[in-house]
Amino acid sequence: MATNTFTGASLSERFLRLKLNQRLAFNSIAGQRYSSISSYGRRNVSFSSQPRSIRLTVSCAAKPETVEKVCKIVKNQLALSDDSKVNGESTFTALGADSLDTVEIVMGLEEEFGITVEEDSAQSISTVQEAADLIEEIINKQSP
Amino acid sequence: MANAALRNVKVLPNSANMEEARHRVFEFFRTACRSLPSVMEIYNLYDVVSVSELRSSVASQIRNNIHVTDPKVIDMLLFKGMEELKNVVDHSKQRHHIIGQYVVGRQVQDSATKDPDTSTFLKNFYNTNYF
Repeated sequence: MATNTFTGASLSERFLRLKLNQRLAFNSIAGQRYSSISSYGRRNVSFSSQPRSIRLTVSCAAKPETVEKVCKIVKNQLALSDDSKVNGESTFTALGADSLDTVEIVMGLEEEFGITVEEDSAQSISTVQEAADLIEEIINKQSP
Repeated sequence: MANAALRNVKVLPNSANMEEARHRVFEFFRTACRSLPSVMEIYNLYDVVSVSELRSSVASQIRNNIHVTDPKVIDMLLFKGMEELKNVVDHSKQRHHIIGQYVVGRQVQDSATKDPDTSTFLKNFYNTNYF
């Protein structure tokens, strides 16, 4: 059994963040406990995870912050340099992403924001602004 | 908990066309990505890899077969992929298997193929170690 010794606060924070993401992901997976995974018809995914209130406040209040965070994730996912310009109007195909890259970006956004994007919604995303709008719509739908 | 999501997976009939097979590949990738946090927990991989790196590793393995155009072959690959995912989530593998295949294996393969001075013997040695 490997002994985990975290040296430094940054590693502990990373561990806690991963724990939080994991708990949210567990809620998402547990919500699909009795549903059969198939490609026929729409998947009814229950939004059971509750995001933290501070994230909800920031995401609802400041839309440019969401777009900026999405741009950061897109840059990280496509291995773009920091000085390359990625704004709300940038399309994923213009940045050099193929269809699998787009799905990977959507999964990265799910992990970052703690949400579950429906399959039909995920396929319609083609620009950074559309991704940010969809994320805020899902977060608003999840909030009580 | 991820076992519950994968327990209901059935063997689907063959894809009618290329578009349906492509749709199923994305569905499988999405299912695999949603299982990664529980895989991190089962095998205790927090100190060697992150979820995004595992996701990139899974995506690169799917991209290795990007040249396949026969829907029957894609269905067979998806079946094998789902079987592998089920083995990983059910803890039918050990920690070093996950590390060797999805964390370190890609780097070793990339470094082996990028070095032109490596002899054929060493190239084959590196390949057989991780397949």
